[in-house]
Amino acid sequence: MRARTLAALASAALVAMTAPASAAAWRGYISHPLGFAFAAPGDLKVEKGTYKAAVGGTHDTLVFRTVDDNIEYKAIVIDTTAEASNAATLLGEAEYIFQDGAGKKVLMDTFGRVDGKFGRKLTIDLPNKAGRTTAAFYFVNGRIVSLQATVLPANGDYDTPEMGRFIDSITFYTVRAANDATELTLPK
Amino acid sequence: MRATQLLISACVAMAVTTAPANAAWHSYISHKLGFSFEAPGEVKTTVGTYRGQAAGPKQTIVYRSVDDNIEYKVTVIPSFHQAQAEGANILGERTFNFQNDKKVLMDTFGRVEPGKDSVYGRKMTVELPKNGGRTTAAFYFTKGNLISLEATVLPANGDYTSPDPGRFIDSVVFVLSRTQEGATELQAPEVE
Repeated sequence: MRARTLAALASAALVAMTAPASAAAWRGYISHPLGFAFAAPGDLKVEKGTYKAAVGGTHDTLVFRTVDDNIEYKAIVIDTTAEASNAATLLGEAEYIFQDGAGKKVLMDTFGRVDGKFGRKLTIDLPNKAGRTTAAFYFVNGRIVSLQATVLPANGDYDTPEMGRFIDSITFYTVRAANDATELTLPK
Repeated sequence: MRATQLLISACVAMAVTTAPANAAWHSYISHKLGFSFEAPGEVKTTVGTYRGQAAGPKQTIVYRSVDDNIEYKVTVIPSFHQAQAEGANILGERTFNFQNDKKVLMDTFGRVEPGKDSVYGRKMTVELPKNGGRTTAAFYFTKGNLISLEATVLPANGDYTSPDPGRFIDSVVFVLSRTQEGATELQAPEVE
């Protein structure tokens, strides 16, 4: 009897140790100045970056990023407010660049529609078996907003629903954000 | 010998009368609206309407011709100058409505002009309900104008893989210096 109990405890411990490390809870995040909210697992860190495109030119970006269970979650904001009158082409160019390039394979390219905003949702396999990215692109308040979730090879579950959960969590009506959503800190 | 010549002449005449009624392609340009395209036959101008949730109710300018049972149509919604920052949304809605409840055969990027002059849009092919034919279309939003080119192969034509719809939608030009010489200036009625 005692041996059985020990065996059961050992099995439980083994299961716990080998289970995926997806312990991070999902949280709501919101940016009132940027006008959108979304949900992601774990703590987001913000980085500044640069976006370059033939038509769009060079623009500052903000990247809110987290990694959980070897899935990288990124919310990218490209500040195109100075060129907002060219919105349709700027958004189309960003989508095109996302799926363009040697070795990328497009698996999905379809409409995105959230809160009266039309955009695109795409899934691509990355070159050199580097993983699979599902992304959504929208143009909001003069900015390109893109949510991108990449399943890395170390995770390997390329059909995970987490990617869809992430990109489909976006909302542009801040009243539809989670009640306890964390306000995103924008760097100066 | 004379009988042979008569026979050849009769055959030539018959071949001419049974050939498809393909009209010559012409180039058309609107300096006011900032685009040009090519189409066969005589293009006529009418005013229509469009309504979308994002776009609201709008009047449209329609340029249309029919040749060999293929309908060629360019629709311009020109009055978005106050809402150009909503261009991506308005374009997305227009393309969504185009394919909604239809069988989509193609949905891909559209790009007109090279480099920094590029204008991005979408190109789509759908089968129309009730065997109504097949429409290939391109959609662009530039300089406050929502422009769509649609070519519909009607059942009376039946050649649904005809290259002519592709030729039509890919003839659009936004950098007018690249328009084919001799283009006919299009009327651009005032619309709201």
